[in-house]
Amino acid sequence: MSWTRVPALGLFVGLTTGLLGPAAWAEEIGDDLASVARTGPGGRGSIAARKATDRLARNGLELLPRLLEAMDTDNIVAANWYRIVYEQITRRELARDPVPDFPVSFLKTYITNPKRQGRVRRLVLDLVERLEPGTTASLVPGLLADPEFRDDAVVAALARGDRAKQAGRNREAFGEYRKAFRAARNSGQIGTAADRLKAVGQEVSIVAHMGFVTNWFLLGPFDAPGTTGFELVLPPEKQVAAGVDLAATYTGKGGGRIKWTRHHSGDRFGQSNLNGAIAAVKEAVGYAYTEVISPRKQSVQIRCGADDNITIWLNGKRVLRRLQWLNGTRLDRFRTTVTLKKGRNRMLVKVCQGPQHKNPAVPNNWSLQLRICDAGGGGVGVTSGLPAATEKNTSVSRESVR
Amino acid sequence: MKRSWNGTIGRALLLGATIMAVAGEESRAENWPGWRGPDRNGVSRDTGVPLNWSADSNVAWKTPLPGSGISNPVIFDDRVFVTASDGKNLVNLHVICLERDTGRIRWHQRLWGTAPTRYHGNKSSMASPSPVTDGRHVWAFFGTGDVFCFESASGRMIWHRSLSGEYGVIENRFATSSSPLLYRDTILLQVDHYGDSYLVALDRKTGSNRWKVDRPGRWLSWSSPQLIRLKDGRHELIVCGSQRVESFDPGTGRALWTAGEMRRECIPTPLFIDGRLYVVSGPSGPSMRIRPGGTGDVTKTHVEWKNPRGSPFVPSAIVVGKRYYLVTDGGIATCLDTETGKPVWQKRFGGGFTASPVAAGDRIYWVNESGVTLVIRGGGDRYEELAKNTIGESVFASPAISQDRFFLRTTRHLVCLKGASGKSP
Repeated sequence: MSWTRVPALGLFVGLTTGLLGPAAWAEEIGDDLASVARTGPGGRGSIAARKATDRLARNGLELLPRLLEAMDTDNIVAANWYRIVYEQITRRELARDPVPDFPVSFLKTYITNPKRQGRVRRLVLDLVERLEPGTTASLVPGLLADPEFRDDAVVAALARGDRAKQAGRNREAFGEYRKAFRAARNSGQIGTAADRLKAVGQEVSIVAHMGFVTNWFLLGPFDAPGTTGFELVLPPEKQVAAGVDLAATYTGKGGGRIKWTRHHSGDRFGQSNLNGAIAAVKEAVGYAYTEVISPRKQSVQIRCGADDNITIWLNGKRVLRRLQWLNGTRLDRFRTTVTLKKGRNRMLVKVCQGPQHKNPAVPNNWSLQLRICDAGGGGVGVTSGLPAATEKNTSVSRESVR
Repeated sequence: MKRSWNGTIGRALLLGATIMAVAGEESRAENWPGWRGPDRNGVSRDTGVPLNWSADSNVAWKTPLPGSGISNPVIFDDRVFVTASDGKNLVNLHVICLERDTGRIRWHQRLWGTAPTRYHGNKSSMASPSPVTDGRHVWAFFGTGDVFCFESASGRMIWHRSLSGEYGVIENRFATSSSPLLYRDTILLQVDHYGDSYLVALDRKTGSNRWKVDRPGRWLSWSSPQLIRLKDGRHELIVCGSQRVESFDPGTGRALWTAGEMRRECIPTPLFIDGRLYVVSGPSGPSMRIRPGGTGDVTKTHVEWKNPRGSPFVPSAIVVGKRYYLVTDGGIATCLDTETGKPVWQKRFGGGFTASPVAAGDRIYWVNESGVTLVIRGGGDRYEELAKNTIGESVFASPAISQDRFFLRTTRHLVCLKGASGKSP
């Protein structure tokens, strides 16, 4: 049966829906799908969804197109109710002998539409792979820009590059590695692609690709006995709404005067070692300040990690606050979605340094890593708005703390 | 038709009595309805639990499981429930019901998780919390922040909550592993993480909130809450979190008392034995025995003893008789006296440990990560090894005991080991 032939589909629907005509069947299906769509927070709509899914699951393959349309939703609760129906129908139909004609052409189009929910597309790919083995291998390598399948496609591109390099076709290898690097959003794959490119003579910037902020003014250390630093409100925080005064000096830990100093991270993944850049101290607070220029007003993610804990203000407003001690700085541990205005955006970051671990052998790291990217982890075209760093005015941190 | 006592009604009463006797017999067969068993302390009252087995001996059945998970299997009557996760970022969630006697899969629900945790060790997955059942329904909580309720017989979904969707992604670097517990008509969950930590009580039937309490200053613990019953009949919800153990009214979420001395990250589940609470957080944190029922900060008034010796990071402790047992993640086992907290013995078991111990009678079963189960006699003054059994596959999940069977979840299978005669050697 062709799924593009409406009369044939109508006949099939009629046969499979008993006494209901196609219009009544379509209406009932629509009502049931809508009942599920109304599920939400607090368990809302569960009773209606339960009844609707019981009815929907009695259908056959004719339901798949509409069901998959409905499954393409941000509402995870509704998506799971729909998935239960999908699993029942596909399992039942796959168990038939012979297996009936699935709408494979429709399913393949669904899989390759990057605007649809990735989780559903991957589920459908598993089904098509069962129906037509080899589909994954033929479809996925071409999906380098696809948010759901890009990791798989990058693996394939790297493998192609490796094969070319092994055969001495370095130009081809370079092309594949470059494709892989540009497409990659996963830090492991980005690092691997950068290494492979380096091996064929091309240096690339992971910092620019991932959107790490590496230019800062740093201030500290302020005194913060024990683990009090997180709650302490020190002068830069008090001034954040009005604007940080980079010319001001303060009384630091031990009574000496401290001032803002220019810092640049030379680490491959943009991490700053504050023990080196501020001071190797314990029980202290440090601040980092930067300005970034956004080419447009845009919604972005700030992704960050810090040892020990981190608080971030963007354009005078606190946007993230995470308490942790002795947990190390990890890439993208914390994320928050913010809006950058067009032009200059000001960011203040507070990172505390706690007491020494009770085991003196445990290193007392103090570090920061922060990037600005899109929801998929790609750079968003922001540039540093700080004055250019010079050897005279800048401390450079080259080694990461991991 | 007139009925007589020695006629139809009498036969009906006899039949009823027989049914009740059978029901009573069945109810004596011990279920393992959630994390760490019927009393949430790892101890079963079964007496015929097997002592010896291997990969090819004393195995009743062995069923492959999808994906990974360290949730313990849950057993109620003739059904076994397990959870798992797999796929890209472990976003696929599985809730599986097997037949207790055959291992055949009765139903298997495949679902999506809202927000998988990015950092998870290879030991854990989104299926670290154990499910819980009352026999009619089974509730499953995942590291993705999703809670599901299913009919236990059919697998029909009753409700789904996305706590991550409603209250924010659970930011927890090894995925949350706190197992839910049932209290009256609610299901209680502890969600401690880098973001806003909270306790929440959900209505068992509808999934809606009964109460929710925020926990500012509590970050990143994997401990499961414990329910205790005081002498006066009141219940308390005991929660171990960063730096503190706290007690709440399980009906309202009202804070009752708190005690300090806990480490910044807590994993083991508190124990409640003979009116005393045993808590531990490690590594290097103390074990403590606490007399529950106070108000405010009871650190100085209700902590009866504390001892930092042998504290684990992951495995929970167990009490058998008057002895309190621990094993570190590195395999150093410690036995303390429950009354004094003083050491009785210490022994290197060997191997790494993630699974928490279980016990039946005076036997304690310790499963290491290589799948070797060491059985020792508990409750005495000296170390006594009874058996050492190898299943031939890695094990990170805590075992379960039910109806004289021993259930081992390996990294690839769920294995049911047959009960022995019931006599101790």
